[in-house]
Amino acid sequence: MNIHSAKTFILFVALLAVAVPSLRADQAKPFLETIHHRRTLISTIPNSGDLNPYAVIVAPVSAGRVQKDDVLISNFNGLTNLQGTGTTVVDYNPSTKRLTTFAHVPQHLPQCPGGVGLSTAMTMLKSGWLIVGSAPSTDGTTRTLGAGCLLVFDSNGQLAATWANENIRCPWGNVALIDSGTSATLFVSMAGFDVPPLQVRDPVTGYPVTVNKGTVLRINLSIPEGKPPVITDQTVIANGFAQRADRDVFLIGPTGLVMAADGTTLYASDALSNQIVAIPDATTRKDSAGTGHAVSKDGLLRRPLAMAMAPNGNLLVLNAKNGQVVELNPLTGEQFGAQWIDNNPAQSPPGNGDLFGLAIKPDGRGFYYVQDDVNSLLEATQ
Amino acid sequence: MLRGITRRSYGLGDICGLREWLSKYGGTLSLVETSEALGNVSGGINRSPEYDGLTQAVLQFNTQKALHWYGGTFNVSALQIHGQNLSQDNLATLQTASGIEADRATRLWELWYDQKFDREGRYDVKIGQQSLDQEFMVSQNALLFVNTMFGWPMLPSADMPGGGPAYPLSALGARAHVRANSWTLLAGLFNGSPANPNADDSQKQNSSGTNFRLNDGGLAIAELQYTYPSLGAMVREGKKIPKGRVYKLGGWYDTEKFADQEFDNTGLSLANPASTGAPQTHHGDYAIYAVADQIVWISPEDNDRTISVFVRPMGTPLADRNLIDFSMNAGLNFKEPIKHRDDDTFGVGMGYTHVSSRASDLDRDQRAYTPGYPARNGETFVEVSYQYQRLVWWQLQPDFQYVFNPGAGVPNPNSSTGQRVKNEAVIGLRMNFAF
Repeated sequence: MNIHSAKTFILFVALLAVAVPSLRADQAKPFLETIHHRRTLISTIPNSGDLNPYAVIVAPVSAGRVQKDDVLISNFNGLTNLQGTGTTVVDYNPSTKRLTTFAHVPQHLPQCPGGVGLSTAMTMLKSGWLIVGSAPSTDGTTRTLGAGCLLVFDSNGQLAATWANENIRCPWGNVALIDSGTSATLFVSMAGFDVPPLQVRDPVTGYPVTVNKGTVLRINLSIPEGKPPVITDQTVIANGFAQRADRDVFLIGPTGLVMAADGTTLYASDALSNQIVAIPDATTRKDSAGTGHAVSKDGLLRRPLAMAMAPNGNLLVLNAKNGQVVELNPLTGEQFGAQWIDNNPAQSPPGNGDLFGLAIKPDGRGFYYVQDDVNSLLEATQ
Repeated sequence: MLRGITRRSYGLGDICGLREWLSKYGGTLSLVETSEALGNVSGGINRSPEYDGLTQAVLQFNTQKALHWYGGTFNVSALQIHGQNLSQDNLATLQTASGIEADRATRLWELWYDQKFDREGRYDVKIGQQSLDQEFMVSQNALLFVNTMFGWPMLPSADMPGGGPAYPLSALGARAHVRANSWTLLAGLFNGSPANPNADDSQKQNSSGTNFRLNDGGLAIAELQYTYPSLGAMVREGKKIPKGRVYKLGGWYDTEKFADQEFDNTGLSLANPASTGAPQTHHGDYAIYAVADQIVWISPEDNDRTISVFVRPMGTPLADRNLIDFSMNAGLNFKEPIKHRDDDTFGVGMGYTHVSSRASDLDRDQRAYTPGYPARNGETFVEVSYQYQRLVWWQLQPDFQYVFNPGAGVPNPNSSTGQRVKNEAVIGLRMNFAF
């Protein structure tokens, strides 16, 4: 090595010494630390006047009336704000900045036990089919809670199939999906098994009685060319989650679902137990893992709802009881922090009860979410 | 028609398809009836329960839905005020017992257009006829209470021309809003009076709310707000999380002419029988104020249960032209005071107002002609209220108020000996219906 080469080598090492730690620091930077802007995109109220936006998903493909990267949102409440009576899915196109009604079904749908109240359980397949859950009521309370169903719409918003069976009881939280095109696997949380009426109170807590009957259902689908998907088999891969009726928020139970990077573990938000759990071998197991094992509990979590996986592999979890999104490492359970994405002081604590669904933006540089106090779609970006 | 009547947001639901039809064009209609019966069981100048009521209709259009134009909101609202006025008839208080008390009328209230200039909600401008009590000097917690002064406070009610552009009045003008992180600036310029500034009764003078005056003086008002949490604020595990709070500091300046509180235009006391009765006038008036709302307790078991406190002082050094030179409200709200009554709120609040030295001097001048005439000083009240959410669209609110030194010590007109009005206990029930 001559002197010139030695100098170059030393300079290279010195630069590396400076650069590597900063690169590492940058890689380790929590996703929420990079989020600096929050924008209101549009009111989610369709022509029917439906309220209370719940599910938020990003269209994976262009099909029919949907453009790739459109944001699809389901409404849980009808015009008069009765919970469990919303019947519309709206479509926001980020390019045109317009909102259209994608699907509108009757509230009374005989093949959907109890009727229609579209929940946060929604996903779109690469083949263009949209699947959305119903957790219905007719009077806005769980007194008239129906079993609900999963509704399948074609890419033009026409109802193509309805799935209802003994394993489907109020599909509730955001859906995790593995989609190969000709087949797919859905994971859906169910929060409506034997929910006692609101009036039945726990003598200790005074809240409506909690029953540990919430489940996570794995549904395998085959998707014939040009035909609606068909259920090939279904397995309850987790059960025993706490669920109960609630006067203000209708139902509380297992909600958010996210498939881990390993492709086999499923994370679930266990709202009443205020924790995130992991269900091992979710794609292959033949039996229930019970409530799985806790990944992260309490701390910044305040009744966790919908979840999504950030590009850095961390989980983003929305809180029901304040306007925060929490970021945590699903492998270690470490909670990195939380960001206020809704600070409405009209609620106490701010943002209490406003958040529900979220979805990572296609470019990975932010996420979409809804606020039901203002019935709007918002984005948080870098 | 009755489906879900116990849980829906509006008692009348869709109003035969009207709300759905409006929704197609980005419209929303709010109809709220407030009805109450209040009566003084002790003190006052008369005693009898009285009923008063207010119907508010607010129609709003979102221009994005109607015209594909982002960020525009058109608002028009109207008031139908009915019933009697307990404070005027029985109490003779400065700090009137109910925020909806006003002259009976059917009137236009607000008529404005608001335009946002970015999607982060950092800039917007509102133009048109506005009621300042909807945005300025607002304490979120104080809005629970029945007494007027928890809404539009005593000082501007007494000192601004016509009571200022606040319920049931409004004024033409423009308001700008700028937000940066935790900080927000609200600033507006309005017509200096909501009615003819020379009129004795601004509500009668502008009885329909359609005077649309622009030729009077100007009212400039600005308010700096600090909010925690701000949008985007980070919270870290293990670190103590500050509780939500909003602090505001503001002031206003009105370029109108203001009457002296003691002297006429020849320098004689207005109490002097030789006085012309025409007061001296002063150019301009101003005051400054502060508002603090702070959550102080959040139940660790149930985050819905919170206790918040608020305080709102304001004052002006210009005693010569103002009846009131200081006023203050303070109180405490307990949300969900009874476990599992999630939407109920209990509150204890108070108000204090001080009559300016110049106005008190006029009372002392009066003693030369009416021996023993009392000089006004201050008036204080406390209020205890419980807002019970019977249904989503129906609230019941039993209320108790006790007023010390009513009218700041004015003589009772029904007293042959010129005694001051005795302290008053007021009880009542308010009901709010959202139709």
